[in-house]
Amino acid sequence: MAATPERRLLEPWQDPKAAPYVRIERLTKQFGDVYAVDDINLNIFKGEFFSLLGSSGCGKSTLLRLLAGLEYPTAGKIYIDGVDVTRVPPYSRPVNMMFQSYALFPHMSVEQNIEFGLKQDRLPRKERTERIAEMLDLLKITDLRKRRPNQISGGQRQRVALARSLAKHPKLLLLDEPLGALDKRLRENTQFELVNLQERLGTTFVTVTHDQEEAMTMSTRIAVMEAGQIMQVDTPTAIYEFPTCRFVAEFIGSVNLFEGKVMASEGNEILVEAAAGFTIRMRSYQPHPLGTPVTVAIRPEKMRLCPAYDPNGVNQIKGIVEDIAYLGDVSIYRIRVGEGKLVEMTLTNIQPRTEQALTWEQEVAIEWSPTSGVVLSE
Amino acid sequence: MKRRSWPLLGILAFGYAFLYVPILLLILYSFNESRLVTVWSGFSFKWYGELMHNHQLLDAAWLSVRVAATNASVAIVLGTLAANALVRHGRFRGRSGFELLLTAPLVMPDVIIGLSLLLLFVAMQHTIGWPDGRGFTTITIAHITFSTAYVAVVVRSRLAQMDRSLEEAAMDLGARPLGVYTRITLPLIAPALFSGWLLAFTLSLDDLVIASFVSGPGSTTLPMVVYSSVRMGVSPQINALATLIVAVVTLAVLIAGISLRRDSKR
Repeated sequence: MAATPERRLLEPWQDPKAAPYVRIERLTKQFGDVYAVDDINLNIFKGEFFSLLGSSGCGKSTLLRLLAGLEYPTAGKIYIDGVDVTRVPPYSRPVNMMFQSYALFPHMSVEQNIEFGLKQDRLPRKERTERIAEMLDLLKITDLRKRRPNQISGGQRQRVALARSLAKHPKLLLLDEPLGALDKRLRENTQFELVNLQERLGTTFVTVTHDQEEAMTMSTRIAVMEAGQIMQVDTPTAIYEFPTCRFVAEFIGSVNLFEGKVMASEGNEILVEAAAGFTIRMRSYQPHPLGTPVTVAIRPEKMRLCPAYDPNGVNQIKGIVEDIAYLGDVSIYRIRVGEGKLVEMTLTNIQPRTEQALTWEQEVAIEWSPTSGVVLSE
Repeated sequence: MKRRSWPLLGILAFGYAFLYVPILLLILYSFNESRLVTVWSGFSFKWYGELMHNHQLLDAAWLSVRVAATNASVAIVLGTLAANALVRHGRFRGRSGFELLLTAPLVMPDVIIGLSLLLLFVAMQHTIGWPDGRGFTTITIAHITFSTAYVAVVVRSRLAQMDRSLEEAAMDLGARPLGVYTRITLPLIAPALFSGWLLAFTLSLDDLVIASFVSGPGSTTLPMVVYSSVRMGVSPQINALATLIVAVVTLAVLIAGISLRRDSKR
């Protein structure tokens, strides 16, 4: 059952020939007048750790429940491993779910909780015992097997819930805010454990989260959702570095947005005249006709202090430090440039704070590389 | 750490006394030798002996227990079904009407329930020939009508508190709806079912007014016998009977409590 990680030239989602493991086609779920899931198309591949990321009410949980069969769609289809499961009831789907509240049965011991699903499958006793032992061992909760859910800690409950949902060896494991109920420190450790577990088992995981760090750390790919729609699906790196729309850029991390017009196009670079009164030179991966209004996104950590300001230099602007937020490892500076436009810059605090050069109201010059900007669609 | 607060203890003692001294007195006087209920003349089991030969009283007690048990058992099923409909099935058509009708017996005066049921039973006997006369059946039916309402209230609050995702998790793990209900829902609402059953049993055992309307000759419940005999002067036999009932109830509650505690420890 341990999947051997293969070296592939192409990740499955880059390979047009790869068959998706979970195929979601034009899926819509309406509650009254509200479209919780609005005409979604999505492919998830075998062995992925896929995250649905979004703020509350964006439809990510509904999408997960549709996959579990706890809700039926208003329109559209869901295929799992090539089989149309759109109308298959939850108890007949090769899918298991770990609930946000864990939903452990309070009147059963840890062992009985894990055994519940196996009993429903009419597995012989010997196999059940083996499977329980395997799960207890996998999640290192063998000592807890006789306890009741109310006699163990939150972190232990999370493990039991995970063991219970993995016990049936589902084709697809759904996790609803799997780390939501844990405190911060435990959450960080558990993130890595969850990823290791997933890699070891090779099971396809689909998780729902509102925590972008969590999604970035764990996922092979992330789907950013908003108002029942998927705004962008991509790897964590691509989502962060190359957001395609304003929503995604602003939702993940912080970002400086500059509105402007395309002024010139030279080879694979374009010049954007920013409304704030300076010119941005940047890499562009698609053609932009001259005069098109665009929004350019630049991450604060891509900004740096400019040692030698040159009025004709590339992407160099002057400004005045207006705010400083000291976070320990980094400091965030807000720099006023042009007409009231604030630019955020993050600098790593290499020197102790007292040694820092920048202070309030100081005039500084900042710069960024032409490869740092991204053009967003609305 | 543990400092005694005498005023608080005093209030506690008063509270317990208020609740239990009458019952203790009743138990005490059941061992009274005297025929007069209020005068103590010596310890004796005499009234227990006489009780064993008082067939009127024993029959009435037996009838009451049968009615109460049947009533409680039927009411628990109907009440649970009603609670399920209210909690689990969202806003179905006629929900508020259903809710109103279900809970109406809680506030309806007993006299009205009794009278209306009597009229119904008489009319039914005339038209369809059932129920044939009045007795065990009619009293039980009458009790079920209001007990169901109480059971529904108790079970409903428990069901509403229950985390819905437990049932969803069971279903997700492969249990069909019936399996989910018997393996997850029922065990989790069992305490409410138990207390609902006891409540229905007690209400029925207690009822005088409704039973007086819908009982017939030869079917007299215990409260009716007690009430009519009180008018002719209380016999200490009634104290003895009451003591026995208190003993049985206490035992039942103790057993239930112990088994519940053992269950939650396991």
